[in-house]
Amino acid sequence: MDLDTVTSVRAARSRSDLVLAPGETVLGGGTWLFSEPQPSVSGLVDLTSLGWAPITISDETLSIAATCTIAQLAALDSRPDWLAHPLIRECCESLLGSFKIWNVATVGGNICLALSAAPLSALAVALDATAVLWGPYDSERRIPVADFVVGAQQTALDPGEVMRSIEIPLGAMRSHVGFRRIALSPLGRTGAMVIVRHSRGETVFTVAGGTLRPHQLRFTGLPTTADLTTAITALDDWFDDAHGSVDWRRAMSVRFALQLRDELT
Amino acid sequence: MKFTVNGDEYEAIPRPGQVLRTLLRDLDHFEVRMGCDAGDCGACTVLLDETPIHSCIYPAHRLEGTSVTTVAGLGTPEAPHPLQQSFADAGGFQCGFCTAGFIVTASTFTEHDHSDLPRLLKGNLCRCTGYRSIHDAITGITNTEVAPAGDAAGRSVAPPSAMRVVTGREP
Repeated sequence: MDLDTVTSVRAARSRSDLVLAPGETVLGGGTWLFSEPQPSVSGLVDLTSLGWAPITISDETLSIAATCTIAQLAALDSRPDWLAHPLIRECCESLLGSFKIWNVATVGGNICLALSAAPLSALAVALDATAVLWGPYDSERRIPVADFVVGAQQTALDPGEVMRSIEIPLGAMRSHVGFRRIALSPLGRTGAMVIVRHSRGETVFTVAGGTLRPHQLRFTGLPTTADLTTAITALDDWFDDAHGSVDWRRAMSVRFALQLRDELT
Repeated sequence: MKFTVNGDEYEAIPRPGQVLRTLLRDLDHFEVRMGCDAGDCGACTVLLDETPIHSCIYPAHRLEGTSVTTVAGLGTPEAPHPLQQSFADAGGFQCGFCTAGFIVTASTFTEHDHSDLPRLLKGNLCRCTGYRSIHDAITGITNTEVAPAGDAAGRSVAPPSAMRVVTGREP
C-alpha cells in the first residue's frame, strides 16, 4: 500500500548514507514495510541501491547479504560436501508468502522483522550464523543470530545499526541435518518447526515457529529422551494464536525433536 | 524516471512512499487491480522485467529503466496469450476481479509446474471459483462449448465478456 506518511526516499549509495534522520527507516525488499501503514515513518533509505553481492563464499564462510532476496538464496547451488544444503530450500518453502514474495523479500528483512515464524531466522540459527551489523561512524559488530532475535519483533539492533549480512561457517554447511515442520493447513503459517544439526559429536536442535524466537539447544553427543524432552518443555515463550495452541506446538516440537534424534542414530 | 509498460514508454515521478500498483493505475492501467493492498491476494500481479511481483507492495521509486508487463500486455481479445484463451475456454473466472493476477502469475509457469499449482498459486486468492476451473485453465482443460446460434440454453457457454476479462479490458 502507499505509505502516505513518507515524504522522502533516499537511495543509499555508500555507507555514509545509512545515517538516518529522525523518522527515516531503512528499506530492504519492502514486502512487509509496504504491507501495512507505517505512521511513524516519514522517510525511506533504500538499501538495495548499495549493490551488495547477494552471496559470497570464502574458504571459511557462506556470507549472505542482508539484501539477498529469498529467491536468490533458494537458487543457491549446492556443493558436494554441503550436507546441510537442503535446509535452505526447506526454510524458504516455509515462508507463508508465495514465490512472488521470494522475488522481492530479503533475507535480512525476514530476520530483522523477527516474527516468531520467520523461517530464515530459524535457518540462520540452525546453521550457527553470525549477524554482521553496521553501526554509525563505520563501526561494526558481530553477534550470533541466536542472540540477535530476542523476542517477537524484537532484535538486538541498536539505534542506527543496519544488518549488513549473515555469515554461515562452512563447517555447519557440512553437517548432517534434519528438518520437521507442521502447520494447521498444508501451505499454512508455521505452527512448529524443529531443525537438527549434528557434527563432531555435537547435536544442535533449533526450536522455532511455536516460540516467540528461535531457540538453540546444544548437546554433547545425542541427548536422551528425558534430556531432550525436558529441554524443550522448559522453553518459556510458547505462544497461543489461531495457528496453534501452546500445548500442541510444544508437543509437536518434542515429537519432532525425538524423531530427528532417532534419525541420526 | 523512465520505464515501459506493455512496451510503451513512460516518464513519471512517483510520490515518495508510492507503490507500483498505484503508479500504474495513475497511468490508466486499471487492469492492475487494487485488492488486499498488503501483498496477499495477488490481484495486482505484474511482471517486472519478466519477474512476477505483487505491485501493491513494490516501491515505485525503483522503476527507473525497468519493463513492466500487465495482463493487458500479454495479449488482446483479438490476439490473446494462450493462457488467456485457456481461461476463457475453461471458464476460469466468475467475477473476474482476480483473473488478471492469476493469468500474469501463471504466465511464468512451465508445464513441469502444473503438478505443483497449489503451492505456486498460494499468493493468489479467488473467492468465486473454488480454484477448480483455474486449475483447469492452466492445465488446458476446456469446460465451455460453442453453441449453435439460437441453441445456447442449457449449454456451458463462455460469458460474452470472457475475452475482455482475460485480457484486462473489462472494468
